Amino acid sequence: MTSSNLRNAAAVAALSATALLLAGCVPNGAPNATSIAVTANDEGCEVANATGTSGTLTFTVQNDGTKVTEFYLLGSNKLTIVGEVENIAPGTSRDLTVQVGPGEYFTACKPGMIGAGVGHAAFTVSGDAVATTPEEDAVVAQYVAYVKTQTEELVPRVGEFVAAYKAGNDDEARALFPIARINYERIEPTAEQFGDLDPKIDYRKPGAIEEGLPFTGFHRIEQDLWLDRAIENYSQPEKNHYPKDDLVALTPEERATIGDQLVADISELNDKVRSPDFTLTLADITEGAKGLLDEVAAPDGKLPGEENEFAHTDLYDFTANVEGAQVAFDTVRALLVANGGEELATELDARFVDMLDTLAGYGSYEAGFVSYDTVDATKRNELAAKLTALSEPMSRLTAGVVGS
Amino acid sequence: MIATLLIGLREGLEAALVVGVLLAYVGKLNRPDAARKIWLGVAAAILLSLGLGAILTYGAYGLSFTAQEAIGGSLSILAVAMVTWMVFWMLKMSRGISGELRGQVDRALVGSGWAVALIGFVSVAREGIETALFIWATTRASGTAPLVGFLTAISGILIAIAIGWALYKGLLRVNLTVFFRWTGVLLLVFAAGVLAYGIHDLQEAGFLPGPFVAAPEGAGPVVAAWFGEAAWAFNVSHIIAPDGLIAVILKGTLGFAPEMTKLEVLAWAGYLIITLPLFLVRSYAGQHATRKERP
Repeated sequence: MTSSNLRNAAAVAALSATALLLAGCVPNGAPNATSIAVTANDEGCEVANATGTSGTLTFTVQNDGTKVTEFYLLGSNKLTIVGEVENIAPGTSRDLTVQVGPGEYFTACKPGMIGAGVGHAAFTVSGDAVATTPEEDAVVAQYVAYVKTQTEELVPRVGEFVAAYKAGNDDEARALFPIARINYERIEPTAEQFGDLDPKIDYRKPGAIEEGLPFTGFHRIEQDLWLDRAIENYSQPEKNHYPKDDLVALTPEERATIGDQLVADISELNDKVRSPDFTLTLADITEGAKGLLDEVAAPDGKLPGEENEFAHTDLYDFTANVEGAQVAFDTVRALLVANGGEELATELDARFVDMLDTLAGYGSYEAGFVSYDTVDATKRNELAAKLTALSEPMSRLTAGVVGS
Repeated sequence: MIATLLIGLREGLEAALVVGVLLAYVGKLNRPDAARKIWLGVAAAILLSLGLGAILTYGAYGLSFTAQEAIGGSLSILAVAMVTWMVFWMLKMSRGISGELRGQVDRALVGSGWAVALIGFVSVAREGIETALFIWATTRASGTAPLVGFLTAISGILIAIAIGWALYKGLLRVNLTVFFRWTGVLLLVFAAGVLAYGIHDLQEAGFLPGPFVAAPEGAGPVVAAWFGEAAWAFNVSHIIAPDGLIAVILKGTLGFAPEMTKLEVLAWAGYLIITLPLFLVRSYAGQHATRKERP
């Protein structure tokens, strides 16, 4: 070990210590915190209440004895240390702040720091399960931050795309179309939480008609940019029953209306995500990750090539969906491992790599992906197989992260 | 009063001894610049600990027990790794140094001095937060006047510093060849104690199997011996009171506690069984080689 290695090791240690500090913070005297008085002496200690409410509990341990004492909150097996405060000198008082869920606990003191602790007393915590631990809050905050970066990138990309479309630079707009969708596709389940936004932004023509909504957003512009293909597509027997009165080129004014609305809807999404009220639960994140993969496989999704039925840019969306699911999974990975889901985590790691490697064989955002109509049935089956191999373990993620 | 004093002494002793030896090292090598850096590292660790301790005591957020033990435990193990590295690195550097070159090479022994300073920092910081939390708690004493409790706790630490200082002064008088050997042995012994302490912290936090974790279901007797009550190696606290002076001294120097877990004992003994013979054999071999080179 050289001294620079040593310095690096120390830097890593300092960073991890800081991370632990942040993750291990418990509120002192939170508004809903209950303070429980503990009086300790040389024989043991007395806890004022034998029951508490789940959440943040503060034990204020006053040592009236002549020996140094320690105070413990033990699990129901009397072994696991839920919380401990050492070095309570005679005449002093120290606080033990813990976050506890409902269940049976034991309190104990160790006057003179001897033995397995005396004054074991049962302590019952009732109430709701502790909603979140600081670790879980940190994970949610990290994912929310990711969603925000995605909508922040989305706004200018959509702006650029719409500007080209409105200006009549159709080639440029066609090239920008799949790029403008990347950030949206990564976080689509989140956008779907805002009931009316996703239909306006991302509904396909059949979906809009089915729900009696005006056909707007990305796919309305797509239809206009690839009008020949749209006309051809909707002449096929299976789609022949859809109305064809909108299969005409839009006027510049109509383009402006549709384009401006998409920009406004995206900007509203960005505002909602950035609002201090916006939050998610752990299950939202894990279910969202699963949802992203389901989006790919859905009958009107990317795998059958229906999502972008005119542009055939489905591989962009496909990749973005998988990437979004991977970020969601990576964010909760540590929680999964902490809950004993090491095996599932390792399996998912491998499946994601496999899926993304396969997709990379078809191109990249920068160099462009091949048009999806050139991907034949055999290749689509291979993609489908990889996706199923990924979706299956993914469906166990929520239970592995939340259900403990 | 005595109890508060002894806690201060116990928490301060291990760090003070390691820092005492470090200062003796650089003092012997005539490197006042490196000594200054060590003091800087120590001061930074103290300020950081006191600051964090104050924030956690009086601020809006406290530190969860698990996090506190995990920080203390991992920093302890980091300190052990750094001290071990230093001892063996210096041994390697000092081998085969002949007479007149010695002065120059000795100066190179501690490099720029920052590595040694870092060891001083980690040695103090590893239990610094707990000590700071303890010290701040004494200011909230109710029985005795807060100031008295605070001063008593500080006095305990000052006594620890005085003992470290005495060790430093004593070591400076030792002849150079013997000096390196014995400071190396001392550091390895101190490090073994720190290692045991670190293991204990991690066991308490439930990161390592030990008395605070129930044996997994269906575990055989071999596995079960490392969990629950069976994980304790011995308990002599009825003979040596854990809050007494003897226990404090034994803990601060050898890392011996009246009650230790099997894993702690194993780590402590395993560390010393590996490092001590290796160090002594190399140290004597190096001396031998040096002598042979001389005409």
